[in-house]
Amino acid sequence: MSHPDSAVVAFEALRRTTLSRQRGQALIGLLVFSAILLVSFQRSQFFSSDIGGDPMGRVADFLDRMVPNLRSDALLADRGTEGSLAWWFYDLPLWLRLGWQTVEMAILATVLGTVGALAASFLCARNLMPFAPVRFVVRRGLEALRTLPELILALILVAAFGVGPLAGVITLAISTMGGLGKLFSEINEEIDPRQLEALTAAGAGPVSRIRYGVIPQVLPNYASYALIRLEGNLAGAAALGIVGAGGIGLELQRAITYTEFDTYLAILLLIVGMIFLIDIGSEALRHRLIGLGADK
Amino acid sequence: MTVESRSQAMAIAPQAMRARPRLAVMASIIGGLLALFAMAWDLQLAPGSLFSGLDKLALFGAAAIPPSDGGQLPRILKALGETFAMAFAGTCLAAVAALPLGVLGAKTVISQPVVHFAFRRLLDWFRGVPALVWALILVSAFGLGPFGGVVALALADVPSLAKLFSEAIENCDSKPMEGVRSAGASPLSELRYGLAPQVAPVMASQCLYFLEGNFRNAAVLGIVGAGGIGFELEERIRIFAFDEALFIIALYMICVAGLDTLSQKLRARLA
Repeated sequence: MSHPDSAVVAFEALRRTTLSRQRGQALIGLLVFSAILLVSFQRSQFFSSDIGGDPMGRVADFLDRMVPNLRSDALLADRGTEGSLAWWFYDLPLWLRLGWQTVEMAILATVLGTVGALAASFLCARNLMPFAPVRFVVRRGLEALRTLPELILALILVAAFGVGPLAGVITLAISTMGGLGKLFSEINEEIDPRQLEALTAAGAGPVSRIRYGVIPQVLPNYASYALIRLEGNLAGAAALGIVGAGGIGLELQRAITYTEFDTYLAILLLIVGMIFLIDIGSEALRHRLIGLGADK
Repeated sequence: MTVESRSQAMAIAPQAMRARPRLAVMASIIGGLLALFAMAWDLQLAPGSLFSGLDKLALFGAAAIPPSDGGQLPRILKALGETFAMAFAGTCLAAVAALPLGVLGAKTVISQPVVHFAFRRLLDWFRGVPALVWALILVSAFGLGPFGGVVALALADVPSLAKLFSEAIENCDSKPMEGVRSAGASPLSELRYGLAPQVAPVMASQCLYFLEGNFRNAAVLGIVGAGGIGFELEERIRIFAFDEALFIIALYMICVAGLDTLSQKLRARLA
């Protein structure tokens, strides 16, 4: 006779086996994880590398050298006075000039990359490009562009185009195209198909279909992604200078090479401030665009 | 103009009414293009140097084929392993450091608005400092080698991970915790059985995502002297050994794609 207890017994047995299986899996996962972690620490010489005696003391010393010796009585004095703000930011006009160059590089690269991404996104959107091999090739191409780190691309392009902003702009434009192309094609695939159908029914060609059926739906999203990318490109442009691709990064590298650590901090503060300003501006713009998009 | 006559005018000449905004759009497009050209002029982006650069690039491309390992495959593989090791160790360190910060940053834990705001802004400020900038500092403090790279990756990730962790904690449902508490559990078991099952998969998935990113960043850090594959690659680009450079780049990209696929699979299982 089927006892109510037997159901309980069966449940308990099932629960025990499920629990022990889950514990076994967790244990195996933990072992694999610890093994990788151990090998990683060993391979990256995290504990074994010779970083000199008293590492904490050296970091403290380093931080101490990064903070400028400002004197409160001479804070607003001219460049020649040690301890004044002007003495700390001694090359401010040049840095501002290079900082503006960095902004220009980021803007140009974002525009060029966005145009490239637009073209690519129509070629690899499932609903706009009926020819599958083209979609496949363009998609894989964009993926390859995304995988290649910006700085490595910049190294090659600096070797080809010479030291200067041109290599930086091309680098950033290429990586922008890779990043935005994918996002844009995803936006393209999410559009409302009815407007496209109406245009097809009216006998519109592929270009008019994109102009009147797709662009009005996707423009706010495109612009919003491009602006986010602009923020990223500004940080990218600042970093690219380190390998000689123009902009403020060059001065950052110079400061480190000449062990002017307080200058390094000064330039870093300028860069972070610049990124902060662009972030605020582009966020305001994006919110307006999204607001406008929602009104329609 | 009265309302009626206005609508009549609209009906008669819609094109004329629309001409003005179209003119404005055209003007802003032309203005934008002019501004872009001015910027290009300011940066001295000359078509001449563009074309000579493209010529050189074509030469590099020709020199890069066929790719060759230069008889140094073991060394390259070792450097690749080192790059992954840097990424993994850096991500783990960052996760460990970000966990307490993430708890502190959650609005549900510290509800004092001023403290919460200040804490978040502080994290934002540090988020603006990329791994490369940390690496420059750390390499000059600790010398060449992967140690500086690991610390740089961890430092660059901590603020972002802490922010994501605190958002994960804020977003979780309080009812399971209340349920555990009402059963008379201690605060510790409340965290273990009420909170952890909700946030652990989210956090693990974010860590995997950061591991992918760090594998890319770790390759770059080698360029400033933090070891790994970037160091090998930079050496070969500097001496124009493009066949070996292409080999390394191709191998590295395959590894990145492999890691991305693996981590995507794991993340899909966690979600």
